[in-house]
Amino acid sequence: MPLDRRIVDEFVGVLGAADVLSDPIKTRTYECDGLTGYRVVPELVLLPRTAEAVAECVKVCARHGVPFVARGAGTGLSGGALPVADGVVIGLNRLNRVLEVDPENRRAVLEPGVTNLEITAAASPFGLYYAPDPSSQQVCTIGGNVAENSGGAHCLKYGFTTNHVLSIEVVLPDGSLVTLGSDSAEQSGPDLRGVFLGSEGTLGITTKITVRLLRTPETMRTLLADFPSVAAGGQVVSDIVSAGIVPAAVEMMDALAIEAAEGATGAGYSLDTPAALVVELDGTAEECDDQFEQVKAICDRHGCTRLHIAGSPEERAAIWRGRKAAFAAVGRISPDYIVQDGVVPRTRLSEVLDKIAEMADDAGLRVANVFHAGDGNLHPLVLYSEADGEVERAEELSSGIAELCVAMGGSLSGEHGIGTDKACSMPTMFGEDDLEAFHRVRTAFDPGDICNPGKLFPTPRLCGERPGKYRPHPLEEQGAIERL
Amino acid sequence: MTRAAPTTLRPTTPKEVRDAVLDTPGRLAIAGAGTAADWAGRLDDVDATLDTTGLTGVIAHNPGDMTVSVHAGTPLRDLAGEIGEHRQRLALDAARIPRGATVGGLLATADAGPSALVYGSMRDLVIGTTTVLADGTMVRSGGHVIKNVAGYDMAKLLHGSYGTLGVLVEVVLRLHPVPKATATVAVDGPLTSAAEHTARLVQSPLEPIACEWISGDPGRLLVRLEGGESTLHLRVDRLMELLGDGAHEVDDAVWDEHAALVAGVPGLGDNGLGDNGSRDNGSRDNGSRDNGSRDNGSRDNGTGAGGPAADAAPEGAVLRIGAAPTRLPSLIAELPATAVAAGLGTGVATVTVPGAAVAEAHDAVAAANGTSSLRSRSADLDAPAWGPPPSGLPVLKAIKHKLDPDGRLSPGRFHPWM
Repeated sequence: MPLDRRIVDEFVGVLGAADVLSDPIKTRTYECDGLTGYRVVPELVLLPRTAEAVAECVKVCARHGVPFVARGAGTGLSGGALPVADGVVIGLNRLNRVLEVDPENRRAVLEPGVTNLEITAAASPFGLYYAPDPSSQQVCTIGGNVAENSGGAHCLKYGFTTNHVLSIEVVLPDGSLVTLGSDSAEQSGPDLRGVFLGSEGTLGITTKITVRLLRTPETMRTLLADFPSVAAGGQVVSDIVSAGIVPAAVEMMDALAIEAAEGATGAGYSLDTPAALVVELDGTAEECDDQFEQVKAICDRHGCTRLHIAGSPEERAAIWRGRKAAFAAVGRISPDYIVQDGVVPRTRLSEVLDKIAEMADDAGLRVANVFHAGDGNLHPLVLYSEADGEVERAEELSSGIAELCVAMGGSLSGEHGIGTDKACSMPTMFGEDDLEAFHRVRTAFDPGDICNPGKLFPTPRLCGERPGKYRPHPLEEQGAIERL
Repeated sequence: MTRAAPTTLRPTTPKEVRDAVLDTPGRLAIAGAGTAADWAGRLDDVDATLDTTGLTGVIAHNPGDMTVSVHAGTPLRDLAGEIGEHRQRLALDAARIPRGATVGGLLATADAGPSALVYGSMRDLVIGTTTVLADGTMVRSGGHVIKNVAGYDMAKLLHGSYGTLGVLVEVVLRLHPVPKATATVAVDGPLTSAAEHTARLVQSPLEPIACEWISGDPGRLLVRLEGGESTLHLRVDRLMELLGDGAHEVDDAVWDEHAALVAGVPGLGDNGLGDNGSRDNGSRDNGSRDNGSRDNGSRDNGTGAGGPAADAAPEGAVLRIGAAPTRLPSLIAELPATAVAAGLGTGVATVTVPGAAVAEAHDAVAAANGTSSLRSRSADLDAPAWGPPPSGLPVLKAIKHKLDPDGRLSPGRFHPWM
């Protein structure tokens, strides 16, 4: 049902007509995030320029029961920013200022539309950087990182977004503007900042973020090592950890992923190896050098067939370019693919990879594996061809892999979130009581169910639909409804 | 005001906790080892006390994954002993761990020690919880993986909740390797010079694990490093050079003095052994002190025993305060503090002030945009436990109402906020 004209006028009164988009051609730009299988064109898109304007927009929503969905760069991969048909999207890209870099206290104050990489760019003149580094860091925003509790390659040692955000200013679903967290690690009372982090936009809208900055390490040492099997690479990871070494990053790619990444970037990966491991150590020169020798010895012990040590910042950058390009590069070897995001305890990596290979064989599909080996976060890429009618098998295999991770004592998601994509799988990981308790927390923040409704929790509506690429609704095919 | 409830329940399994919560009408206090029994607001009258100290033991330790799940009533020093056999540790060095503080209690009180500078507090180390709510609902969140964004992070909600939102029964923790070597370098001087040292230190690449100033005459800055057996001494040398004249390496026992200040009983840590004392847990060893492995305390009806503060009441009131690190020294200077342990890198300090000055201290901290809470104090002191309420208080009240609509759990802890 279209929004009442008077409500639209209220939004225009808050923002001005130029910042309220209602033309379906313009609002269609906001119909999905990085999960393109779900698309809903929002009724209105609001583009506030200040936190106060966000709060005023939310107050209008609260007054009239209009659902709203906050959105940053739209790089999310789980449909967390999927619009609600009869609601509004509140785009935060115009809140994009670095408000303060405070080198003495090693922190920065940011608006939500600042990209992840811009934080480090602003901090680096002071010898500081922002640690969480999702692969999409050039374009994803800190507001989205807060919503998803984003991770990245360096989170094994340094932790996730939640470990680096000191405080957040948020607009609650009633339009009130509050601060969660504090200026120090100490705070009073339950950690509401921590509950809000990773809540996928269901508890409110972040309008200002204070993050911790770390000192740029004195030394970084990066190596790329080839192994005769994924299992051998996995054993190297275990031995590194057993030696008491916490690498800054440990990433693994299998042959298919290497083929795609090397084809796209020419980063120097070997095309004839079943597995490659990227290990990065950082810290003081003495500790880093000492640990690096230990890591090399462990690699040798497990049949390393090639050890390439980055000899310059350019070579290090090339190694990372190959790894970070792996998702997009898979498009070179398959017309379509689904990115999965399950997590298993690190020690079960080998077992789960064998099982995934079996499942892929059964489905008659290929799976390329790229993963954060240090923390067990898998990114199996299920390759398929829509033109060849493989969509359903691919979706089944992808969901099956996520649920396999849960069965192995892991999680449905390590960094991409539940969103729209995996809401229906939540009961495989959580019992009714768990979900009910989550719901109680949700309604404490949002009694009217207007803040990004339909995400994260399984709902009959959502679970009646299938994830994956857009396909026309049966009523659409009959001509009974129209898709804008 | 009732400190000793008429009934004490001591369940030994999560199911018994649920039964106890369901079968006991009225209001419940939740007690662990008692090492923080007088922190935060005073308990109102309750109908029963739920004692979690029967709920102990490791549920699953996965050394290869560096995770462990434990029953919430497990003293951390006991857990440290078990996982230490695999050269692993929970990277938390809160002062009351040697006195028997439990894993659940440390989480519920949001406690942390000097190494929070690098490892954070319990909220950074906990990766899963199972909690019994006031209506008996048993809620699980998180799990045995460190990277996990499925569902709300309920462990964070329990962090700092002081038993008001639910009874923690199981906790899953992220572990770290025990460092091969540790060392502490000290330099004597007042807070202002310690702050100057710290400013240079945090800009250096030396990666201190802890950076704390302890009050005294004239006071002392303590800097702890961790590293490899053959390499740490190189960094110690660099650190001493950076700190300049007067910097010298000290025995780990100096951290007992720090712990005593945090407990509000200065002097207990200084037993005459001095910097080069004869304790056998010397530096460049395996960090055993931080793991609370000393077997010198047992539970003593909620008062705690062994270690600093076992037998002495704090003189005045102990406040935990936090502020932006560079604001902390001037803030402390404003307070009528008689004892201070100040994390100059974290911005978190524990200060002892006269009981009559508590309200004034809360206001001073709030004026510096900081946070404060009352920890230990004498039994007859009637002072506000919290500073001005945070702007998020309405949502906190809403959460309390949703999870514990009848206000059964730990009433009074957040007085006067709710």
